[in-house]
Amino acid sequence: MDAGLIVYALYLAAIYGLMAIGISLLWSSVGMVNMAHGATFAFAGYAAYFAAIWAGPLAKDWLGATGWSQPALAVFIGLVAICAGALFGVVIYLVAYLTIHDKQNFPVRSLIITLALNLATVQMLLWAFGPQQKALPRVFGVGRFDWLGMSIRVDQVVTIVATTLLLGTVLVWLRHSRRGLEIRAVMQNAEGAALCGISSRKTALPIMMLTGALAGLAAVLLSQNVFVSPTAGVTPLIKGLTIALLGGLGSVPGAVAGAVLIGFIEAATGAIPFLGQRYVLFVQFTFIVCVLLIRPRGLGGLLDETRE
Amino acid sequence: MSGKLLNIQGLSAGYGPLRVLHEIDFSVAAGERLAIVGLNGHGKTTLFRAIMHLVGWQQGSIVFDGTEIGGTRSLGEGRRTPGIVRLGVAMTPQGDAIFPGLTVKQHLDCGAYTKAAWRDRALRRDHVYDIFPQLKEREQAYVGKLSGGERRMVSVGRALMADAKLYLIDEPSLGLAPRISQRVVDALIDIGLDGRAMVIAEQNVALLTGKVDRMIGMHAGHLRGDVGHVDLL
Repeated sequence: MDAGLIVYALYLAAIYGLMAIGISLLWSSVGMVNMAHGATFAFAGYAAYFAAIWAGPLAKDWLGATGWSQPALAVFIGLVAICAGALFGVVIYLVAYLTIHDKQNFPVRSLIITLALNLATVQMLLWAFGPQQKALPRVFGVGRFDWLGMSIRVDQVVTIVATTLLLGTVLVWLRHSRRGLEIRAVMQNAEGAALCGISSRKTALPIMMLTGALAGLAAVLLSQNVFVSPTAGVTPLIKGLTIALLGGLGSVPGAVAGAVLIGFIEAATGAIPFLGQRYVLFVQFTFIVCVLLIRPRGLGGLLDETRE
Repeated sequence: MSGKLLNIQGLSAGYGPLRVLHEIDFSVAAGERLAIVGLNGHGKTTLFRAIMHLVGWQQGSIVFDGTEIGGTRSLGEGRRTPGIVRLGVAMTPQGDAIFPGLTVKQHLDCGAYTKAAWRDRALRRDHVYDIFPQLKEREQAYVGKLSGGERRMVSVGRALMADAKLYLIDEPSLGLAPRISQRVVDALIDIGLDGRAMVIAEQNVALLTGKVDRMIGMHAGHLRGDVGHVDLL
């Protein structure tokens, strides 16, 4: 395995990790499996695409001479996608959480509603923009650079660094802020939190916006390789869900470990000559099924135990 | 009605088809420390949970500090609970609704929900540590790893973190060794009330005998008389 492959694996891990951590966090704090995560992904992808069309020429006009137009555009597109994702999180909150959160069978009901929301959004995007794939401008850098004699793609490194920074910030925020404390209190014991004056409705909104924002970031990062299309969210959703399961639903360290594992498996499977890209999903799912057969709690359970 | 901190009239409550409380009338004056005693399964906990809107359904009037917090409801369990807590009712639930993965310190911080309480939470934590000194040593320990008595202390301490006007303490002795439950109860009795009120639900009458202002018996979902000071010994 050469360095390029390792960077590719980490790049995949970063994007899957963004999706899986969002799904995992939402499950453990709010108690819903968010099937509309894929729709968030596609929605944010389109937002980023239109932001790029609108801001691309502007950036060239204003900053073209200084050479800062590409990075500025990248930051702008990223912010737009993050905001769009957070906005979609608010929509999910209003439709699939607020209406039913204190009724019976909330997990199943919210699963169905978010699935419906996912399908409806995909159809709406199809209706509005057609099935053509759109390409985002490659604002995260093109080409390769040499490092220790191996050539590494710039955009992949940018993705890994950006994701690590952002996820790190989010996890530190969850650990040390007052809002994070409230979120963890609701996670562990909703009734106890209510008796502490913490409203689960008020904590659900920021967590939904946060997970939506993570999906938005994943969308713009993955769109450097994959085109933006109405159904673009399906594969990330499935992979995010299965990685969240692999990590043990609700465990953030487990989701990170799962994402790294799956990223490496995908990169390695693609590089093995007799398997190739076609067998990536097959190998991944076989691996996940095997892990869950041996350890139904997922990897997160393992980490929790060793921590004790 | 006037001068009463909490005034309950015709309160019925239950879970699904089960009616636990049968039209209870009950009031608490400011500065009072009273006990509701009765056997398990006769509605002491349900009474507290109905005040906090945590039962399945309820009807009847509950006036707390001039605000009506009762009403008829069959859905939305727990929806109004944070609002009621913010009005100034602090409840420590039976068997400790506790966050196993938070440290003692974080747990106490969760209780400081008002802006003012959050700002000087360190001061308030120290105040709780004065009452329960052994929590100070275990400040950074996860609550899930504490003993039953320590957990009860955390639970009571959490209720003391904000300026509540009414404390509802549910079964302080549940599951504790006699010596430890005596310590917890003594700490509860020592807490100065000045204008606030405390209601303790307890099945072990001997623990509270002679220590509270009033004792009310509860039987089969009805409140049975004001026992006043009883001296069993």
